[in-house]
Amino acid sequence: MAEILLKVESLTKRFGGLRAVNDVSFCMQQKEVLGLIGPNGAGKTTLLRLLTGILKPDSGSVIFKGTELVGLKTWNIVNRGVACTFQNMRPFRRLPIIANVMVYCLSPRSMHRGEWVKKVEDKAMDALEFAGISDMALEKASVLSQGDLKRLEIARAVATDPELLLLDEPFGGLSPAETDLMAKSIHRLHKGGRFGRLHSEGPAMIIVEHKLQQLMKIVDRIIVLNFGTILAEGTPEEVVKNPQVIEAYLGKEGD
Amino acid sequence: MDLAILYVKKFYKIIRGEVLVLPSRISVGLFFLVLIGLPLITRDPYIIRIIILTSIFAILAASWDLLSGFTGQMNFGHALFFGVGAYASALLNVHAHIPPWGSVPLGALAAVMAGLIVGIPCLRLKHTYLALTTLAFPIILLGIIFALPDWTGGELGISGLTRFTSSLLGNYYLHIITMLVLCTIMWKITDSNTGLIFHAIREDELAVKTAGINTTRYKLLAFCLSGFFAGIAGGLYAHYMRIAGPSTLEVSMSFTVVIWAIFGGAATIYGPVAAVFILFPLLEFVRFWPEYRTLIFAFIVLFTLLYMPEGLIPWVRDKIEKECPRCKIRNVSTRKTCRICTAGLD
Ligand SMILES: Nc1ncnc2c1ncn2[C@@H]1O[C@H](COP(=O)(O)OP(=O)(O)O)[C@@H](O)[C@H]1O
Ligand SMILES: [Mg+2]
Repeated sequence: MAEILLKVESLTKRFGGLRAVNDVSFCMQQKEVLGLIGPNGAGKTTLLRLLTGILKPDSGSVIFKGTELVGLKTWNIVNRGVACTFQNMRPFRRLPIIANVMVYCLSPRSMHRGEWVKKVEDKAMDALEFAGISDMALEKASVLSQGDLKRLEIARAVATDPELLLLDEPFGGLSPAETDLMAKSIHRLHKGGRFGRLHSEGPAMIIVEHKLQQLMKIVDRIIVLNFGTILAEGTPEEVVKNPQVIEAYLGKEGD
Repeated sequence: MDLAILYVKKFYKIIRGEVLVLPSRISVGLFFLVLIGLPLITRDPYIIRIIILTSIFAILAASWDLLSGFTGQMNFGHALFFGVGAYASALLNVHAHIPPWGSVPLGALAAVMAGLIVGIPCLRLKHTYLALTTLAFPIILLGIIFALPDWTGGELGISGLTRFTSSLLGNYYLHIITMLVLCTIMWKITDSNTGLIFHAIREDELAVKTAGINTTRYKLLAFCLSGFFAGIAGGLYAHYMRIAGPSTLEVSMSFTVVIWAIFGGAATIYGPVAAVFILFPLLEFVRFWPEYRTLIFAFIVLFTLLYMPEGLIPWVRDKIEKECPRCKIRNVSTRKTCRICTAGLD
């Protein structure tokens, strides 16, 4: 259990003069669920993008299961077991929803993991079933609502069977009822097990989220980011009591 | 004998169940039958010649669609593959005396190389930049060809190629069957998992990368596949016309291919093929009116696209067929209920 899964060391990313991510270091254990919070523009999305290789850091290193990820291509990183979702969902709008997920079942990793499932369609269908949108499998992705698009992102993530899952605002724009459902899905995914013909070990997760109440129930530990640097780190209870955090972030919500 | 009848019955059942249920499938079946049966009606060398050329350009238009329609890599220099296929097979045929059966496939391999050479610098480019860069490649090759007239014949091109066969019908069947087979293969590719990835790359390349798929490799694959089929078209053209000339590389050739494909309906394969079979013969038959030819062409294309932004064939298909709202199976538009799930169609 105490094995180190991810080790981020003094990661820095500049956009012009702006240090969007500034000297960030942290570690994650296997199966751990980490919450990443911070005000808008704190650099949360940028940090996730650095981890998946969508952006290249200016300096620093990311060690995942003993391998340096900095410098690797996104598709390569994903095949090593890191999956991510997008804050502003990115569906293939003109393709049916099932095809949206099938693409995620076609990576070398996914093909290798579910070798015994003959048909890609079946695998994709099970992922949709898990996310709860299998009834719309044949519709075009352009008809999906905000909430269902978030579910599609989850279905895609499940399809790649990751060991580390990066969720960027999974509750963003969802109604309270939808938020509850999504929180349950995430919890179920983290526990792992069999979902139809799919199988999940229960990935470690980094969850970026604004809705703290929901987040606190899911995560083991929270990192607070502000202006690209880590402001505080600790269990959810510790973090909400931290005066710096209250000032920088929570205070605004209390107004 | 009984066995034969059994098989015929089985075959008929399949045809009735799978083909005769949809007007679009009937049209494709008729298209195959008419092309194969045409020599029974006419053997006019002029008509045969036009259909052979149409078939060659149909392969070319479909190959553009495979690359640009599906992966969204806008290629405005598709003549490059056509020209490389034509010149390479001409050089092999005239200078190395390789017969057409060898020179056309080898010419296509040369076009695959061209696909790699163009594809690699184009991988980083998108949209307008990609379009402009691809436009430049055939022009560069033209420059090289004019600079080496001893090898390439300069303005005159390389002439004196041998044909596959001297028989009229032999040539006819060779070209239409090659066209039907290659276009079916291209359609099958787009219908496969690889085709799905091509399609997804057009929609959102970053999302495909986060699926763990090496999009670079798939984009290069699209360039190479497209180059291969276009190269075969080029080789067939050179051998049929018995000359490979600079016209195969002209900018107007590249643009005509794009217009054909978009007119017929991009990202369908059958759309561009149908478009060539409509537009190419049409323009040949108004040849006696040379000064208006281009104008007619431009107007037809313009009006079609104004009223049918998806292209002609998808528009027609939507008129004669509709999708079941429940199971997404296509039905003849005259039906009231779905032929599979019996849901109401309106
Ligand atoms: N591609 C980019 N180019 C320039 N600046 C960017 C880019 N992406 C993000 N930024 C800037 O970096 C900062 C952090 O952004 P982001 O990581 O999206 O914040 P968060 O997700 O925490 O709201 C913001 O000030 C944003 O304007
Ligand atoms: Mg963000």
